[in-house]
Amino acid sequence: MDFMDSIRGMSFFDMHVHMTSRTTDDYQAMADAGVVAMIEPAFWLGQPRTGVDSFRDYFASLVGWERFRASQFGIRHYCTIGLNSKEANQLELAEQVMEILPLFIYKEGVVGVGEIGFDDQTPAEDKYYRAQLELAKEANLPVQIHTPHRDKKQGTTRSMDIAIEHGIDPGMVIVDHNNEETVKEVLDRGFWAGFTIYPFTKMGNERMVDIVKQYGPERIMINSAADWGISDPLAVPKTAALMKQRGISDESIRLVTFTNAVTAFAQSGQLSLEELTQPLNIDQSKRYNGSSVLRGGQAPRVDKESTIIK
Amino acid sequence: MNISQMSQTLFYLIEQQPDSEKAVDYLRQQAATFQANPQTSQFYRVFTAIPRYVGKHPVDVAPDMAFALERQRPRFTAEGWTLDRLARVWWLLQLPADDETTYVKTISQLFKAAELNELVALYSALPVLAFPESWRFQATEGIRNNIADVQSAIMLHNPYAMDYFDEAAWNQMILKAFFTDKDVTQITGLHERKNDRLAHTLADYAAERRAAGRSLPPNIELLT
Repeated sequence: MDFMDSIRGMSFFDMHVHMTSRTTDDYQAMADAGVVAMIEPAFWLGQPRTGVDSFRDYFASLVGWERFRASQFGIRHYCTIGLNSKEANQLELAEQVMEILPLFIYKEGVVGVGEIGFDDQTPAEDKYYRAQLELAKEANLPVQIHTPHRDKKQGTTRSMDIAIEHGIDPGMVIVDHNNEETVKEVLDRGFWAGFTIYPFTKMGNERMVDIVKQYGPERIMINSAADWGISDPLAVPKTAALMKQRGISDESIRLVTFTNAVTAFAQSGQLSLEELTQPLNIDQSKRYNGSSVLRGGQAPRVDKESTIIK
Repeated sequence: MNISQMSQTLFYLIEQQPDSEKAVDYLRQQAATFQANPQTSQFYRVFTAIPRYVGKHPVDVAPDMAFALERQRPRFTAEGWTLDRLARVWWLLQLPADDETTYVKTISQLFKAAELNELVALYSALPVLAFPESWRFQATEGIRNNIADVQSAIMLHNPYAMDYFDEAAWNQMILKAFFTDKDVTQITGLHERKNDRLAHTLADYAAERRAAGRSLPPNIELLT
């Protein structure tokens, strides 16, 4: 059975996806599958940047061009802004990036500081993770934490310990890339638990179904983290379909694929459930009274089945 | 144009908007702090944070206000703006204009780090900023921009291009407007700045469209 059949009419919020690395085909497929909103955390682009201007342009693209690109497919695009853990290790550059972060974290549609946390768990990573927790606290923004691939369990615990040490309310922290080994502690300590459905290296969605069955839908949310690697931008709708097939209630599916992420990130004051349940194009016609815009949400559609290209 | 008079008129327009008390209080307070001690960091912070305090309701421009704006800056209009856009343009006028280099540098930094709605406000402000000749290149960057709302902010209902673009830049803007499906009748100065070279280029463009079996954009006949 086509997974699309079982999720028709449902809306999804992919709370971690790197659209900068994806194509318009992905946007189209996501919109068709019911993805109405997404969060793009600032991350490592696959190779190190060598100057602060590259960071500035990247951050500006997350609040500018990428947001516009998404809007052409009727998708609301939010982002979290931060210095990722890998590049925190280039000390001189990291200092310069820290200087420009305040220019971006107060911008519209910036729903948190992220993704930040640990990669190798070096002293430099520790330093900038802490500095950014302070920024988030000052701006009253949620924090989106990337937990490390290596030494994950210990790194996850350490990330939460430090957040608490800095006086951050666990309810303001989304701990991402969880697995069976980390989820219990994250939930027990009152943090939000994000799960990345990403083939081969992170979670598979059958495992995800089992986790929701075991822990219930409270404070759990899933994402694709689709990026420049082998990943799947439809991970959220596909997992919703699988959950449905395996007997999880529509209400629980809605919580882990939509509402929980909205509740967590709405604490930024930059998005709301009310806003997300309105179609994007209505919003635009109101905002751009009388002037011709590129018909938001209705970009000319290419018929992919046709051999003829016009 | 007198900047402080324009600033007063824009502020009066903000005050006229329904339920704007909170916005007015915030803006007045920020302006007082900034005047007493003009810190660039505060200037940037307020510019960015404005939507949180003033909201995004569409602005209602009464006929007498429209007239007052036009009298101070010919062809300038705030019609169709939202309140955050209006407040941001007003806020830009609070920057001291005593030193051109500092002034241009400060505002150029805002362009560099701007998100979509900030860009819309910045381009809308070009006709009322100090040192108008300094923004020529920046204005052409707005037309090169690929985001529809940003293009519209500089192309439509904005007298800056009409007043400051040379013929090549003007013609590029008109072409781009046709290419990006803008309603060209909303371009300020469309008829005043008609020229032979533009007519020729547009005729070529129309021929190319016909050859490809595509339709012609509306109103192209106005300029050919």
